[in-house]
Amino acid sequence: MGSFDPAESDEGRAALEDPQRALLNILEDFSAEKTQLVVGQRALLNILEDFEVEKGRLESTGRAMLNLLEDSSSETARLEAAQHAVLNILEDLVQEKVSLEAAERAVVNILEDSSEERARLETTQRAVLNILEDFDEARTNIQMVNQQLAKEVEERKRAERQIQRVNAELVVANQELEAFTYSVAHDLRAPLRHIDGFCRILLEEYASTFADESRPHLQRIAQSSKRMGQLVDDLLKLARVGRQDLSWHLTGLNALVQEVVAELRSECEGRQIDWRVGELPSVACDPGLMKQVFANLLSNALKFTRPRERAVIEVGTLAHSSELVLYVRDNGVGFDMKYADKLFAVFQRLHRQEEFEGTGVGLATAHRIVRRHGGRIWAEAEVGKGATFYFTLGDPHKEEDTR
Amino acid sequence: MMHEVRILLVEDDPSDVQLTMHALHRNNLANDIQVVRDGEEALDFLFCRGNFAGRAWDHPPRMVLLDLKLPKVNGLEVLREIKSDPRTKTIPVIVMTGSREDQDLARCYELGVNSYIQKPMDFNQFVEIVKQLGYYWLVVNQSPPAPAHPSS
Repeated sequence: MGSFDPAESDEGRAALEDPQRALLNILEDFSAEKTQLVVGQRALLNILEDFEVEKGRLESTGRAMLNLLEDSSSETARLEAAQHAVLNILEDLVQEKVSLEAAERAVVNILEDSSEERARLETTQRAVLNILEDFDEARTNIQMVNQQLAKEVEERKRAERQIQRVNAELVVANQELEAFTYSVAHDLRAPLRHIDGFCRILLEEYASTFADESRPHLQRIAQSSKRMGQLVDDLLKLARVGRQDLSWHLTGLNALVQEVVAELRSECEGRQIDWRVGELPSVACDPGLMKQVFANLLSNALKFTRPRERAVIEVGTLAHSSELVLYVRDNGVGFDMKYADKLFAVFQRLHRQEEFEGTGVGLATAHRIVRRHGGRIWAEAEVGKGATFYFTLGDPHKEEDTR
Repeated sequence: MMHEVRILLVEDDPSDVQLTMHALHRNNLANDIQVVRDGEEALDFLFCRGNFAGRAWDHPPRMVLLDLKLPKVNGLEVLREIKSDPRTKTIPVIVMTGSREDQDLARCYELGVNSYIQKPMDFNQFVEIVKQLGYYWLVVNQSPPAPAHPSS
């Protein structure tokens, strides 16, 4: 329609021919339209056909899809199985991993153990090193101590040399003292002996040639010289106690005391003496010096009981004492305890010479002997009631050097 | 010609000589005493030499009273000489001394002394001791036989 034909434009003819042509045109237009419609129908049919094809195709596609789905489900199963398998594998793998981990842990443990072992070894090594170091230190210490010792030995040697020198001086001093003592003993005694001798000769052989009043003077001279002789002798005894070395022997004291009592017999003549000598032990002492102690104490007891009608002289040991305490007790005149500290000093006397003779050396000698034995001596007394002298004896290994 | 000497007194102190002589007199022992005043003189007498060269060997004293402290030759040396010579060692020697020192005592006995006496302080005791000595050594004790003629 719309098409434009250039002949239609010829107007004359167009007027006679126009209605026919128009109709023909219209018919023609109709047929075109009809063709067009048929074509359209055909196209539609075609489209429908295409639809059908398309539908079939779709159906097959759906079928295929179903198939595919089916296939995919089996595939899923297969996949699941595969997945299972994979899971299994994975599980296996996990187990493998666990065991691997365990193995690793074991290895780690082993490694740890070995490292511990190593640590231990290192500790041991360190300890050994420490010990070696300690050893070294100890060696150094020992060397130091050795040096110290060497120094001390040197000092000691020096001290020893000094002691030897002093000792040598002491030996000389001792020799001089001995010479002095000897000279006192020999030279001083001799003139005293002479005085006594010549006085006696005068008194006994020339008595008639003297006036009566002169005789007591001569007697005094003789007495004085004798007393001086006694003093000299006692002093010598005291000096000897200090000088001589103690010779320790186990000594039965009962026998010793009996000896002393026997020697004192002459002093007991005409007197009533009650000797009460108890059970005495055997002791380690210098027997000669110990005898002198008893001699001094017992002769003192005899002397100071002289005013008693019946003298009681007791020798014994104290029962309740931790150490051995010996005693000599008498019922003599005793003494005032306020003078007790003077008792053992040389030349100290607590009685007048005309009452009780003596030199005041006896107890000093006893004191010195007891002290040299490492013991003590003391006294208890009461005026008019008697006196007791106590003494102890020390250890022979601890001899006191108080010469 | 010397008379027989029974006692040889070796003493340097004149007082001691006098007192000893007095004690001997009192005991009627003062005859036949020879007094010498030091150790050398004592040895001269005993060994018949010096001032005593003419003395006869075969009449030794019956006892020697010997002091220890003597001039020149001391008592211990005299004692050693006497006791170490076969011609004199049988003569009884009595040491009479003023002191009693332990070391002297020991030494004298080692050397062979016959007796050791300390002179007492008391003169009467001394007289008594001299009496006992004289009685013992000159009367009681049997003297050794007289020595044969000395060869030297």
